[in-house]
Amino acid sequence: MISLLRIELYKIFKRPRTYISFGIVTAITFIIQLAMLSGGRDFIAFGMQGVSEQFDIQGHILNGYLVTYIILQSLLIHIPLLVALVAGDALAGEANLGVLRLLLTKPIARSRLVLVKFISSVIYTILLIVWLAIVALFLSLLLFGPGDMINMKSDAFVLILKNDIMWRYVAAFGFATLAMTTIAALSLFLSAFADNSIGPIMTTMGMVVVLTILSNLELPLFNIIKPYLFTTHMIGWKGFFDDPVPYAAIGRSAMVLVGYTVGFVTATILYFNKKDIKS
Amino acid sequence: MRKITSIVAALLLFAGNVFAVDEATQLFYTLRTKVLTVKDYTADIRLKIDVTYMRIPQLKGKLFFKSPDKMRLERNGGLSILPKKNINMTLSNLIPTGQVTVIDMGKVVRNGKTLRLLKVVPEDELSNIVLTKVWIDEANTLALRTETTTHNDGTVIMDLEFGKYIPYALPDKVTIFMDLKDYKLPKGVTMDYNDVPDAAAAAKAQKGKNQKGTIQISYLKYDINTGLSDAVFSKPDNG
Repeated sequence: MISLLRIELYKIFKRPRTYISFGIVTAITFIIQLAMLSGGRDFIAFGMQGVSEQFDIQGHILNGYLVTYIILQSLLIHIPLLVALVAGDALAGEANLGVLRLLLTKPIARSRLVLVKFISSVIYTILLIVWLAIVALFLSLLLFGPGDMINMKSDAFVLILKNDIMWRYVAAFGFATLAMTTIAALSLFLSAFADNSIGPIMTTMGMVVVLTILSNLELPLFNIIKPYLFTTHMIGWKGFFDDPVPYAAIGRSAMVLVGYTVGFVTATILYFNKKDIKS
Repeated sequence: MRKITSIVAALLLFAGNVFAVDEATQLFYTLRTKVLTVKDYTADIRLKIDVTYMRIPQLKGKLFFKSPDKMRLERNGGLSILPKKNINMTLSNLIPTGQVTVIDMGKVVRNGKTLRLLKVVPEDELSNIVLTKVWIDEANTLALRTETTTHNDGTVIMDLEFGKYIPYALPDKVTIFMDLKDYKLPKGVTMDYNDVPDAAAAAKAQKGKNQKGTIQISYLKYDINTGLSDAVFSKPDNG
């Protein structure tokens, strides 16, 4: 199993396009940091209109912690695409190259192959999130400095003291990894159905976009289905920046994401075990 | 004879009222003079903001004040949050300045203490204050509660508790109750994580409307009339 995993990781990290994801994360992070350096004050003033009418808030508002939060908010919409680039290619890419049938002639159980491909996608996802943490959090702290963090929700203004923030980011990045693991499982599942990787990658993105819209639309019809959509729970990392932290809700969201992940991987194994491999 | 007695009684009653009114005005001016003797102070404080839409932990810091209306909270590099200047947290800002009309409302018992209640109306029409009610401890000449109705900022109620700094009329603890406007940002912008079911969220939002906010300040130590310079109050960047 370990040697199989090593081969899968070698295949992932041998491809130049794997590093494109890390480049994209770096580029988007830099762009947001640059935008915040130049026009961050106006952005903050706009966001704080409701509060600043009645309260005078002074100090280093635009600090590294707030900028990281803004980056995370923007990037966690794009990162599913980067995860899908690898996970969606896991089975379909090999089918496209015509090597999947050859691979399956080796004495390896199909379920084991699916599990190894899933684990290697998860490792890639973890590395991507770790890289995001480095460029977003540490670089933002370097550029903007630390400070108390404000979190503007639709109905609340939350202030978190600077010595109470770092653990929240560790937890948030951990939760984001779990959310992206669900995306990896979905992409792998779709990958099992296709013979080229474009289909699963595009379908994953399409599903994420449509379901994210459904998760955010405030309509009674969608309110019924929202709790069952994984996209509703993917933003559970934000809960760590509330006061008090809604641990029960975050736990529920984590369970839903784990449930989806296990479901997608199981479905992939079940389907792939019976699939007639023709290429 | 009966007629003369009635006239004398009426005159005495009138004179008593005039005397009472003068006494009330005098009491208010004495209180105001006492409050205004403090030109500036630096105080170590603990600030607790209890506002429906704000989730803020207790803040510790140094509060700088310079008469009449300069105020700044310094928190060792942390963010400072204070109500807007027109709802300043000092007594000197919540009692009218200049010429006033004082109406004596008599004695009232509050928290087991007998206090004198005065209604104070500023004669300056441009003043933001419309009316201030002051509950005064006559023995110490201290305002233990004020209720100030303003043109622009609703009604601000201030409860004061005194201890070590009675000679300066500086409180050890102040609780301010203020009217608040609703706070709302579009969910499409904030992309909130819904940690409560929708029905509970709607109830929570309804509960949050037209709430009063409470700000509690505990003053741990004062340095009074040290001659603070205006530079202390120059605003740091909001960047």
